[in-house]
Amino acid sequence: MNEPSLKILPRRSLLARTFGLSMGLRHSTVAMIGVSLVGFWIFVAVFAPLLAPFEPNATHLPFAKPGTSFTGGAVFWLGTDHLGRDVLSRIIWGSRTVLFYAPLATFLAYVVGIMAGLVAGYKQRWWDEILSRISDIVLSFPVLVLYIIIIATIGASGVNIVIAIIFASAPGIMRIVRGLTLDLRNRDYVAAARTRGESSLYIMWVEILPNARGPLIVDACLRVGYVIITIGVLGFLGLGLPPPDPDWGGMINETRAMALVFPHMTIFPCIAISSLVLGFNLLADGLRELSMRR
Amino acid sequence: MGVFILKRLGYMVVTMFAVSGLVFLLLEVSPGTVATKVLGAFSTEEQRRLWLEANGYFEPLLTRYFTWLGNVLTGDFGQSIRFKVPVGDILWPRLLNTAILGASAFAVIIPLSLGLGVIAGMREGSKSDRAISITSIVTTSIPEFASAVFFSAVFVFWLKWLPGTSGMAEGFNFKELVLPVMVLVIYDFGYVARMTRSSMAEVMTTPYIRTAILKGLPRHQVIIRHALRNALIGPFTIIMLQINWLLSGVIVVEFFFAYKGFGALLLEASLNQDIFLIEACAMVAVVVAVVTQTIADIAYTRLNPRIRFA
Amino acid sequence: MSFWRDKTLHPYIPEIADEMLRGRVDRREFLRTATLLGMSATAAYGVAGKLTGGEIIPSANAQFLTGVPKGNFGGTLRVSMRVQPMTDPATFDWTEMSNVARQFLEYLFITGADNITRPFLCRRWAVSRDLKTWTLFLHQGLKWSNGDEFNADDVIFNFKRWLDPRTGSSNQSLFTAMTTSAPTGKQGRDGKPLMSTTMAPGAVEKIDDYTVRLHLNRGELALPESLYNYPTAIVHRRFADEGGDISKNPVGTGPYKLTQFKVGEKAVLQKRKDYWGGEPYLDRIVYVDHGDNPGASLAALASNQVDLVYETPVEQIDVVDKIPTAKIFETVTAQTAVARMQVDQKPFTDKRVRTAVRLCQDHDKLLLLAHRARGVAAEDHHVAPVHPDYAPLPGPAQDYRLAKKLLADAGFAGGLDLRIDCRKDPPWEVSLAQALAEMCKPVGIRIKINVMPNAQFSEIWDKTPFGLTAWTHRPLGFMVPNLAYRSGAQWNETHYSNPEYDRILDQASSTLDVKSRKQHMAKLQSILQEDAVIAQPFWRSIFAAGNKRVQGYELHPSVYHRLNKVWLA
Repeated sequence: MNEPSLKILPRRSLLARTFGLSMGLRHSTVAMIGVSLVGFWIFVAVFAPLLAPFEPNATHLPFAKPGTSFTGGAVFWLGTDHLGRDVLSRIIWGSRTVLFYAPLATFLAYVVGIMAGLVAGYKQRWWDEILSRISDIVLSFPVLVLYIIIIATIGASGVNIVIAIIFASAPGIMRIVRGLTLDLRNRDYVAAARTRGESSLYIMWVEILPNARGPLIVDACLRVGYVIITIGVLGFLGLGLPPPDPDWGGMINETRAMALVFPHMTIFPCIAISSLVLGFNLLADGLRELSMRR
Repeated sequence: MGVFILKRLGYMVVTMFAVSGLVFLLLEVSPGTVATKVLGAFSTEEQRRLWLEANGYFEPLLTRYFTWLGNVLTGDFGQSIRFKVPVGDILWPRLLNTAILGASAFAVIIPLSLGLGVIAGMREGSKSDRAISITSIVTTSIPEFASAVFFSAVFVFWLKWLPGTSGMAEGFNFKELVLPVMVLVIYDFGYVARMTRSSMAEVMTTPYIRTAILKGLPRHQVIIRHALRNALIGPFTIIMLQINWLLSGVIVVEFFFAYKGFGALLLEASLNQDIFLIEACAMVAVVVAVVTQTIADIAYTRLNPRIRFA
Repeated sequence: MSFWRDKTLHPYIPEIADEMLRGRVDRREFLRTATLLGMSATAAYGVAGKLTGGEIIPSANAQFLTGVPKGNFGGTLRVSMRVQPMTDPATFDWTEMSNVARQFLEYLFITGADNITRPFLCRRWAVSRDLKTWTLFLHQGLKWSNGDEFNADDVIFNFKRWLDPRTGSSNQSLFTAMTTSAPTGKQGRDGKPLMSTTMAPGAVEKIDDYTVRLHLNRGELALPESLYNYPTAIVHRRFADEGGDISKNPVGTGPYKLTQFKVGEKAVLQKRKDYWGGEPYLDRIVYVDHGDNPGASLAALASNQVDLVYETPVEQIDVVDKIPTAKIFETVTAQTAVARMQVDQKPFTDKRVRTAVRLCQDHDKLLLLAHRARGVAAEDHHVAPVHPDYAPLPGPAQDYRLAKKLLADAGFAGGLDLRIDCRKDPPWEVSLAQALAEMCKPVGIRIKINVMPNAQFSEIWDKTPFGLTAWTHRPLGFMVPNLAYRSGAQWNETHYSNPEYDRILDQASSTLDVKSRKQHMAKLQSILQEDAVIAQPFWRSIFAAGNKRVQGYELHPSVYHRLNKVWLA
């Protein structure tokens, strides 16, 4: 019987690892479709000022059908809404809103959740007790209800929505990270680091976290998608970002009463949201597939 | 087992305390606007002050909290500011309505997603698996409000097959349930289907099943007798948790179709800072959450002999 | 004609009839003033018709006359409207709750959809020349739904309730002319002594079982209009003794009976065959609550779940046109939104800045952009063409050159940064703010729009230096100035204080003769316009969508529902 030899692998640089990951994505069609969708919207968001034919809040001609031409040769490719604003431009600029707030909120929620999860899983004892209890309490509350109560009381603004999202998402993330930490803390390299005398902080951030990234990345993609929908729902219920800035959920809310006669005002933002969320979902699915194949 | 349940009950009580306190704190952030919401924008400072005083808003927070708590323990949930009736009068009928809506939705979701999930899991990698998986992912990407608007435009305005709202004003009308249920089903079945699929696929690859197939047992018998039982453990707990999700998920649907349910009630209460109503709804939400979680955990233990809770 | 010598008529009526004959006053004005002064509507129409030749009973007003138009009996009318809690009419604070109540409770006067006020529960009335003593003659033989006879005791009971501070009714500020104030000895939070306002002794006098006399401490021209304001419904004299809650004990004089009432859900009314005004057409009325979701009402109408919607926002009109079974009821109103500037806050202290803002408006374009051109352009002085005492005063048109010059003179040659607060709902107000902001850009005024949730906005609406405030319809031209532009008025959001303006306003509010009043109003309007206190783009029309079968429904500018002459084809 051969003893497994202690292989000490050199750590690849961050760049190399990301490159490897991206190349790995190639193997999954699902992931590629997801990446294209997300990438498309990121592109739109970044180059919004160049792409949008009109100012998003400028009022021109109410209820114009898609394809209507306007003075100066410009065309309302997707028509205008009830206040005469170009739908296409609003969707383009709206992507900025979505792709700013959703990833930001998710990222911050992750920061909080990761810190809490690492501590709970690694340090255990009373840290774990308290953090787990708190997260259980927040988790046992239906999520949307939580959002509504928070926003309805502290008011709707970008900052408040982000705070609400962090508050509602961090416990779930904490749970996942905690579970992963519990699993990973028993690995050899952790023990090795402890013997070397590294601090707990080092071990948590340098040894454990990077090795937990697989499931976390998948979860992150899914979660961003879900946050996008949540922001959309809040906008739909009238609790979203204050007008007039374009926000896809708000756009759908403002125009849905007239969707029968002028469907273009409502359908295109719906397609926008769905496609972006789909992108993230497919990406997550593809990543999961890849990790299982390995 | 009994100990476990008792522990859970205790935990539920603690959670209820924590949540109710938290809600009180949250609503304390801007108390003045309650008076404005009740009395209207054109009320005077004087009128608002009088109203706030009459309703006890100038007393210290702790006093108000414990007064409310005391009342709750004797069964008095307080008076709704918005509806001006005792909270109980409006909460329980609405909760029943949501239960009806939820039950109808589940009556469709469960067979649909389990069925599709099993088929997909059985034939992992095949065309039907692909089709089902893609459909599931796509439908979960479409937000409820989007499908609500879409279905309403098609079935109410264009085809005129279905009524536009679900207020049940003229008594219970089954037709009015169709659209809300459709929206809930479309959004939720995908998730459960995919969970079922992965669970089923995993079970199909276990040595136990492969042995049974190799031994020559007919495939469908293998599936029905052996695979299903193991495969459905996971989805069953997921479904339990979906009941909890439902309390959130119905809000959009009830709002859009004017269905007089718990979700719409909570939304309206929150928008109007109707504190006692919000508290009561929050308590209900916590109870539902903990109960479903507990049932899921117990079921998981029971159904899967390899796992035990300490 | 005998009418000239009729001593029971107010002495002014023959004068104004004379004016009408000479063409100095139009028929509409005669009708309005004559009915205001106590002539019955039928008589007034008759007289006007005789004097000017030809029958002039317009079919639209048929529902307010005793002549019965043709209609089908029977059927249920389903209306989509918020069903709000209603207990005490005197404390009503939303129109919707008064609509359910209005089917079984009635008022001393009624202002129709044509903005003309007529006597209702009172048969006719008389007023002294100084407008301080009003005598109301009530109908006789009118029965409450519990069998009691309606008489002066009921009316006196209601007035006493409204003026009692313990009731907490907004009617108290409506009828300040019948109250006195006395210090209570306590101090308010701002250090000023707290005053208690109560009914002035002798303000309400019972002459006999069917006659009530009101003694005011100052002349009030608009008393009849005030007595149709939605919290002034007349309740039974034993209302307070029997629980003080009309949703549980709906005793009324009106054409319907409340048979079912569930807050937030529905209200059901059944017809009273023995109604004193004639049997109503509809058997039943059902109010259905569809929540705060405006799309739901529309969807309900489209799928024939309701026959009428309380109010339809302007964006939905095109949709209603596409629904084959629906039609739009429209009415011109004095509803508006004003971009008002506080004259004691910089930079609005300088009249030139305010005028510059005013001059940026293209009223008609703003009406088109914000309200689909449904309405009438306004003239920045808050008196509407639909007001009988309106004096036409077209203001200057959009003038960028002058605006820029004024700004430069005021020291803002490089432009000016402003912030306007407006509320999120209804959406036309936001789009108005946006359109206005776009219009001010060319002169260098950069307006940032702060859209606030309605609840927050209602906290600060009268405190912000620059805000967009919506004002509702009031039947007479001098009513809003009294509430908003008089020095120290309760809702004076602009802190405008001009003794000259107040003086003329006093005169206008007590002038009976419409022609002279118009002259006062003209002066008043031009002062406010000159002082550029507000930028007022337009007066808007309001809409209600309903099924084509609904006949006889007239949309009231305040959306008051009076449904006994409505029938279903």
